[in-house]
Parts: sequence; structure tokens; C-alpha cells
Amino acid sequence: MSPSSTVPVRDLTKTGIPTLADIGDRLQGGAWTFVILGGLLLALGLVLQAERGWANLLLTAFNLACVGLGGLFLLAIQSITGARWSDPILKAHRAMPALLPVAGVLMLLLAYGAAVLYPWARPGADLDPVLHGRLAWLNTPFFFGRVILIFAAWIWAGRRLARQGRGAAAFILIFALTFCLANFDWLMSLEPIWSSTIFAIYGFSGMFLQGIAIVTISAIVLRRVGLIPAVSKAQNHDLGKLLFAFSSFWAYIFLSQFLLIWYANLPEETGPLRLLLQAPWVPLFYLNLLLNFGLPFVLLLQRKAKTSETVLLATCAILLVGRWLDLYLQIMPPVLRGAAPAFGLPELGGILLQLGAGHLACWPVFMKDVNPSQELPQAD
Amino acid sequence: MPNTEHLRRSRFRASFADPDRLLFAVKHLRAAGHTVLDTYSPFPVHGMDEALGVRPSRLPRACLAFAALGLTLAFGFQIWSSAVDYPLRMGGKPLIALPAFIPVAFELTVLLAGLGVVASFFAVARMWPRLHVSDLHPGANDDRFILAAELAMDTQFSAVAADLDALGAVEMSLLVEDRLVKGASFWDRPAGAGALILACLPAFLLVASVPLFNRDFQKRNLAWDGGMGAPVSAQAFDASAVLRGGLVLQAPPPGTLSRSGAAPLAFAPGKTEAERAGRELINPYQPTQARFNRGKAMFERVCATCHGREGDNNGSVVVNRGAFAPTVLVSPLVRDMPDGRLFHIATYGGPMKMKGYGDLLSREDRWLVVLYIRELQKAAARPTSAPAVTPLPGGVQP
Repeated sequence: MSPSSTVPVRDLTKTGIPTLADIGDRLQGGAWTFVILGGLLLALGLVLQAERGWANLLLTAFNLACVGLGGLFLLAIQSITGARWSDPILKAHRAMPALLPVAGVLMLLLAYGAAVLYPWARPGADLDPVLHGRLAWLNTPFFFGRVILIFAAWIWAGRRLARQGRGAAAFILIFALTFCLANFDWLMSLEPIWSSTIFAIYGFSGMFLQGIAIVTISAIVLRRVGLIPAVSKAQNHDLGKLLFAFSSFWAYIFLSQFLLIWYANLPEETGPLRLLLQAPWVPLFYLNLLLNFGLPFVLLLQRKAKTSETVLLATCAILLVGRWLDLYLQIMPPVLRGAAPAFGLPELGGILLQLGAGHLACWPVFMKDVNPSQELPQAD
Repeated sequence: MPNTEHLRRSRFRASFADPDRLLFAVKHLRAAGHTVLDTYSPFPVHGMDEALGVRPSRLPRACLAFAALGLTLAFGFQIWSSAVDYPLRMGGKPLIALPAFIPVAFELTVLLAGLGVVASFFAVARMWPRLHVSDLHPGANDDRFILAAELAMDTQFSAVAADLDALGAVEMSLLVEDRLVKGASFWDRPAGAGALILACLPAFLLVASVPLFNRDFQKRNLAWDGGMGAPVSAQAFDASAVLRGGLVLQAPPPGTLSRSGAAPLAFAPGKTEAERAGRELINPYQPTQARFNRGKAMFERVCATCHGREGDNNGSVVVNRGAFAPTVLVSPLVRDMPDGRLFHIATYGGPMKMKGYGDLLSREDRWLVVLYIRELQKAAARPTSAPAVTPLPGGVQP
């Protein structure tokens, strides 16, 4: 078994299986439909119930940014550790950073809805004795200035990393600082007098788990289409182990945040968790645990399951739904202020927008990276 | 243990200079019908398990079993100890507060899974103490990649040697039978290990039984409160070795005055003494705004729960809990009582259920409460019964 030997990729033009370009063409129309329909539904939501519309726009923007960052983070740790096991199977993570500019634009749109979402942006916030002291940091111009700075840093460092393969360590440093800020600013300040110092790590655990799930799905789909040579089960096993480990990591961080707040039960610390543990929200609270930890843990526990593509695909699908719910539960309770959870047109619009924008932004980069005519090195 | 009844096949070994050749040789030999027993290399060779046809390890199952045991033990013990054996409500949480049990359960799960899987590995691999390890080739720890195999039936070693040479073997040899058949030493046998454990058992029991016979040891080390009940240092309520009768905390001598300077009250509890107080005491405080505020604060903190904020029996325990209704403070009966008698009642308690508040309110506060009660009575007597009570400038009680 010599490392230099190569296997030719299946000639897709002769097998009757659609080529990657065909798939891209077919998906593109659907993606545009998703984007337009999603945008319309979100706009409708803004008209009908402003809070839910803006909150779903925030969710969409934040999650798209997280997908981009998830890809970049995988790329960065691969680069830092010099890992080569994953080169043949991890393809999507190079394309995922293309979502960052889209997420940035959506995030800036929030400038028109800041007063709806964020209590500190409302008139009269300076009369609140607690908020008053935080307005030096939480005010609309500075907030959106930071949004621009953070996205500029991500896009700059991300391009350097994804295109030139340089600056992985610098990216990790920038990422650590800015991702904390992003979580504190965009999500935690929805309830500005509440704070949790572990909040950003919690966001990171969900973000990275989702990144691995997307990359796993793409690896399996690419292999099924025939674009990656059949590789040993060990690589499936590695992806399964990563999913299993980071699902457990998510649960670990979740408990680290929840346990202290629950145990102390101090009025100024319970914040949004108090709402989550009350009647209309509590099923979703447990569903979140089930989707992000319970089901993946049980599904992936066996070695056989970690190497099975079907189980991996199912788990990744569960995790993607779980990630959406996780963000929903972070954003909605403070915004709806005690009202019952709702799933309707704005939520659907946000999801469609995420799917459509995800495809449109990533696909061209992806196509450039995965050149079907090129011979791929065989995996060791 | 090789089965000696069976016709034993010859065994041989071969060493290679690099892992790829070893891997290839293993595949080749197995294809040719030889039985490759094992390979020895300085580092794990990728793909060797598959080439050797080794079954996947079953240790993960042992790991799962021990993890489940740890989880069950941890949750079981915490639930038993905090909800069954010694139910104690802490921090307003339910007795079975599962989130609080998770850290311990997690730790114990990981601990038992880790220790258990290592113990299982030793047991399965028969790695007892004093295990005799056959030193097949010193190069296996250095730069050689070695395989040990059994010849296929009806095959001569010379034929295999030619094959091995072609496969790039650095050296090869037919093994002397004795090297491999050498019997395990006494301690290698399971019976030997069992005997060792049995031999240790009496010693263990002896050590474990020390606490059962030594009361001092029990007292110091087996106390369930961690020894907090029986410490070595002297305690505040131990009998004194110095003072008469072993007394430690002593009552002050009769007639001792308080250091704050207030003279003792010259009245005993009881109705006659209350009437005498009504005759002999006068309120030393004149009403001012500050005294009114203080009296109001004390009244609302201490008295109003029963008597009501306006002295009209509208107190929360009367209204909400249906408690025994006390005397109406704004009634003519109380209005006609002299200040001294009200002061006495505030100090020692009333004729019915009221307890004395001499221990709770200072002497001055009790007088100020009396002042405030007078203001309440005046407000109640006014026709407009305004809730807001304000002191009148000349409101001096006769």
C-alpha cells in the first residue's frame, strides 16, 4: 500500500449518474425559490408580528454565521495539527466560510429592528437603573460598529485561511475573542440584565457540533455520488466519534451553565431559564436536550453505528434540527416575554432562507474546490 | 495452552525491516494456508488487525457494563441517601434533585468504566502478577517487525523460507518447540492467582476488623459526621476543670446592672402589676415627627400583623389565617387605659394571648409604640377616618 498511488474517480458522464454540475444546476433553482420565499415569509412576519419576524432574522443571520465559522474552525484545527486523515472526506468545510458575508448583511439589517429585539435599544432604557450603567457598551451605533468589525475580522481571517491556507493560529485567536463578543452582544443582550459567563462556550459547542454534522453529511453524500473514492470505515468511524464527542461536549457545557443557575436559583441569575422551565416552554427545553444529546448519544454509542452511513446521516439531521431549536430557545423567550412558543410563517421563512442562502453561497466555492475531472489522492 | 494431544505443527518466526513488508507477508502467509499467530512491532501497524483476521475487541461491552454499573450506583446511592435514608430538604429543591446528582453520577460512571475496562483487559489477556513473557525477538522493541506462525500441514519449512526470503524477510527461523510449549509458572495459572488472593484474605480481614474491636479507633475514624462530634480540642460546654462545680457559663450575681445603663424595670408580670404601672408610669417621650416615624415603623413591624395597621384587628394573620382576634386598639377600652399600662402590656404581654415584646423592642421603642397607638386612636375617633395619620403639634397625652 503505497501512499502515492491514485485511483481515478468514477467517470460520471458514462454511468448515467448526474454530474456534480447537473446537481448544482438542479438545486440552484430550488435554492433561489427558498431564498425568495423565505425572504417574503420573513417580511410578512415582520408586518404581522414584528418581534417574531426580527427574532427569526437574527436566528437566521446568527446561524449562517455559525455555519461559516464551523467550517473555518475545522479548517483551522486541521491546519494547526497538520491533520491529513480528513483531507479526502472533508470537502464542505472549505466552502462554508462563503456564508459569512451573507450573514453579515442580514445581521446589519437588524439595525432597523434593534429596538424591537433589544431592551437596551428602546427609548427610556436609560431610565432603568440597571440598564443605565450598561448603555455605554450596549447602544445602537457601537453595537452595529462591533457587528461590522467582527464580520470584517471573520471574513478577512477566513479568506486568508480558506484560500491561502495561512493564519490558522491567528484565526483561532481572533475567533476566540470575537465569537465571545458576538454571543454576548447578539444573543445574551436580548435579556441585558442577565449574564452567564459560560454563554459563549455554550454557543461554541453548538456551533462546532453543527459544523461537524454538515461536513459529515457532505462527506457521505459526496461518497455516494462517487466523487470521493471509497475509503475505509475508519474515516466514517472518526466522523462518528467526532459527532459523539462534541454532542457530549455540548451536553457538558449545557449542564455547566444550567446546574449553577438552577442550583442557586437567584432572581437576578435565572433570567431566560426561568421562562424555559415554565409550562408552555418546558417540553421544548427537554426536546432540546433530547435532540442535541440524548438521541445522538444513544444512536452513536455502538461502534457499528458510528461506521454506518445511514445512522450518521440520521444523527446529523437530528443535530441540525436540534441546533435550530437550541438557537430558538436562546432567542425567543426573552423576545416574546412570557408568551407561548410559536412555529409559523416567520420561522419557516427563516429556515428556508438558511437552506437557500447556504446553497447559493457555498456551492460555487465548493465546485471550484471539488473539481470532478481531477484525480483525487487515495486515502491512506 | 497448546493442545498436546493434537499433532503439533511446527512454528517459525520471521523478522522484517519495515511495517509494509510485514503486513504484506502476513497476508501472503495466510493466503498460503499458514496460521499467523501474532505479530510484534515497535509500534502498531495500521491495518494489521484486519490482515491477521483478529476479531474486534469485546472490551467496549465490558466498558458499557461498568459504566452502567457506575451510573446506577451513583444515582441509586444519592437518591437513597438524600431521599430515603436521611430526607433533608436543601435549598428549596426536591429531595430527588436529579440535576444536582449529575456531576457525581458522571464522575462515578467514568471512573468505574475506566477502571473496569482496564481490569477486564488484564483479566482477558491473563496478565497476572509475575506473568512470564516470552522474549520472541529483542528487535520487536527496536526496529524489527516480527511475525510468528504455524506451518501449514504437509509443508516443509525450507519451502516457506524461500517464500519469506522473496518477501524481504531479514531473518527467519524454525522455533525450538520448547520455547513455546514452556509451561506457565505457578502464578500464571488462574488457580495460582486465586491462591494468592485467598492467602491475602485473612490479612485483609484482620486489618479490616481493627475498627470493630478498638473503640477509640471507632470514635475517631468511623464517625459518620467525619469526627465533628468528637473532636480533640476543649469545647465550650465541657465541664470546667477550674471553676467550682465544673460550671462554665454562670448566671450573673443578683442585682447586676446592664452595661447599657438602663435601670431594671420595677414591675413584675401580671394584671395587678399592669394596673400599678398604669398609675405610676408616665410616657417620658413627647411626640415629634421623628418619634412618630419610629413608633410607626416598630408598630407596623411587630404589632400590625395581629392588631392591623390601623389598630382595627385587620392584621394579616387575622384576616388571611383566621387567627384569634386580639383586642381592638382603637376601642374605648384601650383608649381609656393609661400609657403606663399599655407600656406594661407591650413589655410583658396582655391578659389574653399576646406575648411580651420586652425582649424584642427596646424600652424607648415600646414607649414610642404607645405614642403611635394614641395617634391611631385619635385618627379613628375623627369622623373622616382618614388612613393617613399625622401627629398633631400639641398632641400631648394627659
